[in-house]
Amino acid sequence: MFALIDANSFYCSCERAFDPKLRPLPVAVLSNNDGCAIALTREAKDLGLKMGDPYHLVAKRPELKPIVWRSSNYALYGDMSRRIYETLLDLVPVVEPYSIDEMFLDLAGMPGELAQLAADIRSHVRKIAKIPCCVGIGPTKTIAKLANKVAKKDRNGPGVCDYSEESVRAAAYPSLPLGDVWGIGPASVAKLAALGVETVGAFVAMPAEYVRKVLTVTGAKTHAELQGVICFPFNTAPATRKSLAVTRSFGRAVTTWPEMRDAIASYTARAAEKMRRHGLVASAMQVFMLTNRFNNDPRYANQVTFAVEPTADSFALIASAVHAAERLWRPGYRFAKAGVVFVDLHRPDDLPIQMLPSRDPERSARLMAALDGVNGRFGRNTLRPGGTGPKPQWGMRRARLSPAYTTRLDDVLEAQA
Amino acid sequence: MGQYKGDETTGFQSPAQDYIEGVVYLAAILDLRRPGRYPVRVKGQALAARGIHDGDILVADAAAEPRAGVVCVAMVGGDVILATLSKRADVWVLKPSSGALITIADDVEVWAIVQALVRTNV
Repeated sequence: MFALIDANSFYCSCERAFDPKLRPLPVAVLSNNDGCAIALTREAKDLGLKMGDPYHLVAKRPELKPIVWRSSNYALYGDMSRRIYETLLDLVPVVEPYSIDEMFLDLAGMPGELAQLAADIRSHVRKIAKIPCCVGIGPTKTIAKLANKVAKKDRNGPGVCDYSEESVRAAAYPSLPLGDVWGIGPASVAKLAALGVETVGAFVAMPAEYVRKVLTVTGAKTHAELQGVICFPFNTAPATRKSLAVTRSFGRAVTTWPEMRDAIASYTARAAEKMRRHGLVASAMQVFMLTNRFNNDPRYANQVTFAVEPTADSFALIASAVHAAERLWRPGYRFAKAGVVFVDLHRPDDLPIQMLPSRDPERSARLMAALDGVNGRFGRNTLRPGGTGPKPQWGMRRARLSPAYTTRLDDVLEAQA
Repeated sequence: MGQYKGDETTGFQSPAQDYIEGVVYLAAILDLRRPGRYPVRVKGQALAARGIHDGDILVADAAAEPRAGVVCVAMVGGDVILATLSKRADVWVLKPSSGALITIADDVEVWAIVQALVRTNV
């Protein structure tokens, strides 16, 4: 039996966990560079704010005035997600962190009544990890996810929905809209609506071959899962990466080559660090830069993809990336965004041995391990390759950033004695 | 090249080389990876009598069970305060360092219970 536990407006709940002044207020969290709303509490939703609304357009609307805005604080959200995961792992044997705010649980063989167990799990997470959640239960992931959606929609309900019994599902399905089903996107909803299929009940009643014809094999799997046939088992290995990108919109337009060079070097360093954490090396990379497409600035966008000697060495990759960026650079433009993408990632063991490597691979590995070790211990960017500026002007705009309460000593919660 | 830990010597072999244990790791002793453990900074001297001073870093545990007499981090209205837990007629109340007893209601939360303390400048 599966359960899906899903945090209620996770980013906002993280902010509220440490700031009790926010608890009665409508709260919204903004995307990188304080662009648009990416998380909102139900109070903010009730005022008319929508997911994706651009901050600079809506913040001054009179009815949205009471909203408290926050920049996204991923250092905090990541650590709170870890706390949810570890709280759950103390209660059930298998936890699959599906996303930063949703985890699948294996309830097989757990004693007692499932709905009661789910209620206990929910209150533990609230108490220990400080995050309010809803729990859905079902014999497949798709059903657990659907049950979770139902629990979430019932604002004053118990926060738990148990679809483990077939009779309960059969009674509920005819009134549930198809759009609530995991894996059925707006395009599929439209396709099925054209056939007169608008509820989960009607969808489940369709013959399997017909579903396969209309929605291909993915839709057929969803169809089977809704009937209790497991097509998506537990998966505890993180998704294997095929490429790895660090791309950012600049906080303000970049107009000089030294700034662009520093940005490209920083992004490459960051991407290389991520790649090492996954134990991978890159054998090709892409560098791009572009101007703002949405204002009247003269337009320029260009990219270059090229092969590199397979490595995870920040210094080697920065040299290649900066060299490539130099060829893309055009003076006189106001650049809004740039990025570095490592494509063609491999485990080093899967690659043929380099006969004449241009860097001593062991030396490089030791140096990179030392770099990552220091940064892991003392905070990101404590040690960084030269050319990746310390406090860049082009950096992310995060004017409403809350403290990194749980991961930085200078930022911890303060309590009045 | 590497760190010398008392083991690998250049001249005489170190008799300690099979017995090296490394430094005491405070994060493990304070159990900082437990999901309910949060660092909290003390503001003010009002709990000095309990040995808790301004600037101390408390390790507060949200999973700990309440007991009479323990110091807890509490969210009271919009404020984050330190208070002593006690029981009056079978209900938990908070005793702040100044002011009246606080009964636990909707806008009062015992957030975590203080379990340990770190002071970096003694």
